[in-house]
Amino acid sequence: MARKSFWKRITIWRYLFLLACFIVIVGNPFTNYYWNINFIQGWFQSLGVGNLWVVSPLEGLESILTAKAFYMPSLIGMVVPVTLAFLMGRVFCSWMCPIEFLSFLTDKILGLIPKWGTKLKYRPDLIRLPKKLLWFALVTELMLTMIIGYPLFVWWSPPGLVGRETMFYVFYKHITVEIAVVVVVLLLNLPTRRFFCRYLCPLGATLALIGKWRQLVIRYDASKCVGCKVCDTRCPMGIKPSVGESQSVYCWNCAECVDACPTNALQFTWRDKGVIKVPSASMKEVKL
Amino acid sequence: MKKEKNTKGRREFLKVTLGMFLSGALTSCDLSQLKNPRTMIKSPIRPNILRPPGAVPEEHFAQKCIRCGRCGEVCPYHSIKYFDVKEAGVFSGTPYINVMEKPCYLCMKCVYVCPTGSLVPCSKEDVRMGVAVINRQICVTWQQQKTGLMCKTCFDVCPFAGIAIKIDHDFRPYIIEENCTGCGICAYSCIADTWYENKGKKAITIMPIKWKKIKEVSLKSVKNS
Repeated sequence: MARKSFWKRITIWRYLFLLACFIVIVGNPFTNYYWNINFIQGWFQSLGVGNLWVVSPLEGLESILTAKAFYMPSLIGMVVPVTLAFLMGRVFCSWMCPIEFLSFLTDKILGLIPKWGTKLKYRPDLIRLPKKLLWFALVTELMLTMIIGYPLFVWWSPPGLVGRETMFYVFYKHITVEIAVVVVVLLLNLPTRRFFCRYLCPLGATLALIGKWRQLVIRYDASKCVGCKVCDTRCPMGIKPSVGESQSVYCWNCAECVDACPTNALQFTWRDKGVIKVPSASMKEVKL
Repeated sequence: MKKEKNTKGRREFLKVTLGMFLSGALTSCDLSQLKNPRTMIKSPIRPNILRPPGAVPEEHFAQKCIRCGRCGEVCPYHSIKYFDVKEAGVFSGTPYINVMEKPCYLCMKCVYVCPTGSLVPCSKEDVRMGVAVINRQICVTWQQQKTGLMCKTCFDVCPFAGIAIKIDHDFRPYIIEENCTGCGICAYSCIADTWYENKGKKAITIMPIKWKKIKEVSLKSVKNS
């Protein structure tokens, strides 16, 4: 079966959406600085669009944990991202995060290399750690934050730093040393795709935790599967949809496997359609 | 066979996380100051380096602030700057105003965009970023016997002239501390540094203060207002 036509691929829309989000985050300091248009302010720690306030859940949580006080506007700002994560899981990571934009861009550029292109683009993981590490990264982050008494992820969060360094460059004409975090995160992509997102990102862990019972999941139809395992090579998160892991907490709904599947065995479904069963390693035997 | 493999993986994993946690905890704090956790990390706020208007007391500021940079982006004068990790450690990314580079003109835009309540919406008169202190040995008007100058620049530029800064019969300025907002316009425009004997020193310094000290404002009452 041939590949899906260009505009029918979901990943195209994902790339366009990532690009749009990246342009908003990077372009916003310019509009603020040169034209004084304050319609959009901030970056992914807290984004203000008109009267809408969006506060990132982990940063907001850390602020509450360390200050030990609630502030209503901050809680209200967390409503939108939490609802989004409840409905669709880690879509922030795969559809909006500027780090994901830069990572996929690196992958695409690596794919342009003649001869080695496809091999580099879908490179096998050199470093493999247990996926559970994600939860411990979250717990470690929260514990460190509370021991020190000051929120930590607020200043080293890589998606936030992309916006912040752009803002620093535009406003104060210099870049701070924190840019190293972004560089390291992007370099970690080389041995294992999305190494940081998979194992270490506390924000991703928060969103994954919230999105554990998400509505939007990728359904695996065992009767249609021909066992070509293309999806396993394409998945940037190192999940194996071919053994029914597509509904696990670690999936971030990026639709790479949906587009790669030659027989449409993997498809987006809303959970309320009632065709989804609890994912397990023995999914092959379970009749859907 | 399979079970054994799983246990081994778990052990390795536990070791890795435990190691990560311990090393992280040890390297991130200054062990010599563990006696009092409050003083473990020192704030980079010092004379002339102040928090933006409406800031909660300094011990709560960095805990509440999520470093979103919105205050700096709306500031029409670009007065608000941010610490980086080299000079401020965990205070990295929190906003400050260096009154000697660009003072705060009290437009009060930043307080309305802060999402976390680090900057609390308040009126111009209630801002207490610091308090101006005049060094009478340097002020050219206070030393008019020596300099023969009568400058009242600070009085002219003060947004609360006559309330926060007053001048006596010899045009010598003095600060009414209860009313000073600490915006720093007077310190920025002080001309005493051009007097050859002062060697570039300005006569006015803005000392950072806690709100409490002047108006007995606690975090609680700030939140309710």
